[in-house]
This record gives sequence, structure tokens and C-alpha cells, in this order.
Amino acid sequence: MLEMFTYDFMVNAFWAGMIIAVVAATAGSFMVLRRYAMMSDTLAHVALVGVAVGIVAHQSTLWMAVIVSVLAAWLIEYLRYVQKIYSDATMALFLSGSLALAVIIVSLAGSFNSTLFSYLFGNILTVSKDDIITITVVGAVAMGAIVLHFEKLFFVAFDEEVAKTSGIAVGRLNFLLITIVALVVALSLRIVGSLLIGAMMVIPALTAMQYRQSFVRTVLLANLFALLSVLLGLSASYIWAIPSGASIVAAALLFFLLSLLRR
Amino acid sequence: MTFSVPLVQTRALGLTLNGQSILSNITLDIMEGEYSAIVGPNGGGKSSLLRLILGLQKPTSGTIALFGRPIERFDAWHRIGYVPQNVSHIDTHFPATVEEVVRMGRAVHRPWYALGYGAKEREIVTTAMEQMSITHLMHRRIGELSGGQRQRVLIARALASQPKLLILDEPNTGVDTHSQREFYALLKKLNTQSKMTILFVTHDVGVIADDIKNVICINGALLSCTQPHEMLQCDTVTQLYGVDAHVMHHHHH
Repeated sequence: MLEMFTYDFMVNAFWAGMIIAVVAATAGSFMVLRRYAMMSDTLAHVALVGVAVGIVAHQSTLWMAVIVSVLAAWLIEYLRYVQKIYSDATMALFLSGSLALAVIIVSLAGSFNSTLFSYLFGNILTVSKDDIITITVVGAVAMGAIVLHFEKLFFVAFDEEVAKTSGIAVGRLNFLLITIVALVVALSLRIVGSLLIGAMMVIPALTAMQYRQSFVRTVLLANLFALLSVLLGLSASYIWAIPSGASIVAAALLFFLLSLLRR
Repeated sequence: MTFSVPLVQTRALGLTLNGQSILSNITLDIMEGEYSAIVGPNGGGKSSLLRLILGLQKPTSGTIALFGRPIERFDAWHRIGYVPQNVSHIDTHFPATVEEVVRMGRAVHRPWYALGYGAKEREIVTTAMEQMSITHLMHRRIGELSGGQRQRVLIARALASQPKLLILDEPNTGVDTHSQREFYALLKKLNTQSKMTILFVTHDVGVIADDIKNVICINGALLSCTQPHEMLQCDTVTQLYGVDAHVMHHHHH
């Protein structure tokens, strides 16, 4: 089994998967507690529009996905926080609307092929050395931003209104968190796939919460479960030749079921 | 630092929502060191007044000044400790310990680049927990605590920000009678010993005790701003709640 580490594509996949696991589990913990779990799923579908544009325009699909999902994240947050439009309805609108748009774009260009399919479910063969550099740099910046604002994000998640009366710039923090989520989603498309990245952000956080620990320990546990899910999932993907996203999410689900048995 | 200007000053404050007047012409001053209560019936606009003072809502008319500065330019929010209605507000499944919740009170004080808590920060958090007698609960999760204990945790969080003004919204909600008595003794102590200005909102006129210096009666508009013994006259209570009232005085010893 260790022979898989002799292949560059597997080393790339593990490296990218572990960075994504850490950022997704940390940002996901805040999203779950803010009842914003569906946001990552929505942005994952939106990122597909970026992928579609990238395929059709022969541009970097990764960067197009980053740009489109960050812009969409800001628009969703603007509609929710400033315009006070119901957030679940806004997310439903973006989720289905963007999937439809992505399919239309690639269909019109005659490019609805295995490339787009791999972005739906993840494909470890698609992670290049350049992608690793991008994922490492963007992942480090995202984690740095979360760590520096950890206490304030925690306060806002616990009680947004009191955090606001304490002088915390709640609006700016919300935009920061949602931008990080958009980045994580776009970066994760190739490994986990757009249909499954939402689960990757939510399940480890949900699993960690079953252990009834402090907030810091809950976030650390979520990180541990996410890392283990990536290791287990990618190994299964290599051994049985199944899409990496599906096997990673299945592993995360396994840990969640075990956490339920422990209660 | 002593303020000769009111910590809270409202002038002709009005709030209209969806064409309905919630508050009109509210003019009041809360001076430093005062222990004040805003009383009135449910739906009388008490919580709306609090939201306006805390900057959570913009008034339709009138002005608000905090610590002598117009609210639009006020930025020292850490000087105001706010304790929301406790029981209904807290998500009992939220993974947070008592210590973590109290530490939130320090979140705005720490520089953006600070990663851990220094000795001074830890001492402030410990002192706030000691003041509220919750040190023994510091590792417990907030959702495991009783209503009275949770209330103490939220006050400790407010105290950890070392405020000059403590604002509490319906602090009696979901708290048993014994805890309520302890709670008001504690507020009195904070006011007299720590020289903290206290403003709380309640619909329960029965909790108005003699040690409260200033009672602000509101029912859409400011009805009176007076001493407790004057407020607890049959006419005032009748005017405030719209029912015939008979007041029986009972002094605690």
C-alpha cells in the first residue's frame, strides 16, 4: 500500500488534501455554529461556473473558480447582511442557478465531458505541482486570517448581536469568513469535487461537536477527523479506483457514525 | 476618570417601524454612578430603547450621545457591557466552556497580532469569574448550567471588558426567585463598590427595590423619570400598565 507514495500524483493529492482538510475543518466549524452549513455547498456549485468558463475560455479552471466563488460569496453576504434577504432562500437560488449556468456554458461550447465530471466528484489525477503551490499559499493565508481573528470569529458565532455591541466589526468579519470559505471551496474542487466539498466542511465539525468539548478542542478535533478522512479516503480511492471526493466523504461519515455510538 | 457629562443622553428620541410609532420624544440622561431601571409593559418599547442606545438600531428622530459623544462617532464600545436576555439567547449545544465565554469580553481589547493570552489578560478574566462566583464552573460547558449560573457567566463576560456602564435586558427572565435576589444584591455591590453605572430593563415592577436611584417608566413615550418610592404609587403604575393597581410596600431586612 505504501507504494502509492512513490507516485507523484498521489503525493500531490495527499499534500493538497491535508491542507484543504485543515482549512475546511476550521472554517467549517464556524460555519456550522453560525447555521451557515449550506453556504459551502452553494459556493461549490457557484465555483462550477468558474470551472465551466475556464474550460471554455482555455484559462486556469482553479483561478476562475476562485474568482467566481469569491464574488458570489460577497454577493450572497451582501444580500443577507445588508439587504436582509432570507439567507436560505438566497443560497437555494445561487445553488441551482449556478449549476444550471455551468451546464449551459459547457454544453453550448460542446465541452460537457469527463473534465467537468471530475470537478463534480473529485479526481486525484488532476492535481498538478502548480496547483499544490497555489493551494499551499492560499491555504496558509486563509488559516493565518482565521487564527488572527479566532477570538472575534468565536464571539460572533456565539452571539452576533452582543459582539456588535462590544465594538467588533461583525460585517467585516462575516465577509472575511465567507471569503475564506469561497477560497477553500474553489481549491478543493479537484480533490473532493463540487458535490461533496460541502460535506467536507460540515461533517468533521459536526463529528467533533458530539464529543462535547470546549470550542478550541472542538476545532482541533474537527481538524483531526478531517485529516484522518483525507488519509483514509485517498488510500481507498487509490486501492479501489473510486472517485477521491466520494471516498473522503465516506470516511468522514464513518467517523461521524462512530461519534454517535460513543454518546 | 469621572464624567460630568451623562454616560447616556437621549434627546427627543423617536422610533417608527412600518408606520407604527414604537417610541416618541424620549429625553433622558443616565449619569455616572447611577443605578437605573427602565420599566414598562411588554411591547412598551423598553427593548427598542435599549437597542437604540446600543447602536443596534437607528432612531427615526432625535439624538443619542454616549460618554459625551454622538453615537455616530462613538467608538469606545468596550466601555459598555451588555448582558442580553440570558436563557432564550444561548444555544445550549454550543461547544463553549464558561472560561471561553468570559474571555470573549477581552476580544476587542487584544491587539490583532496577539495569539495567546498574557498574564494580565488571564488575571482580568479570573477576577471577573471570581466576582460572579463562577470560578468553580470555568471548565463546564455553558449549555450544562442552570439559568442563574448562565446569567452570571454573561455578566462576567461583560465585566471582563471592564466597562463603565453595564446594561442588562430583562435580567430576570428564566431565573428562579432565589437567584433573582442574589442577582440584585450583586448588581447593588457592583454599583456601590465598583462604582459601575448600571441600567437595566424589566417589565416586572415588583423587582424595583429601594436601592435603585432612578426609575424610568416607558410605555411608547417617557411617562416619568423618578425615584422608586415615587414610582410605586398607584397612579403611576395604573398609567404605566393600564390597569387599576394597588401597591403594597414590603421592605427587605
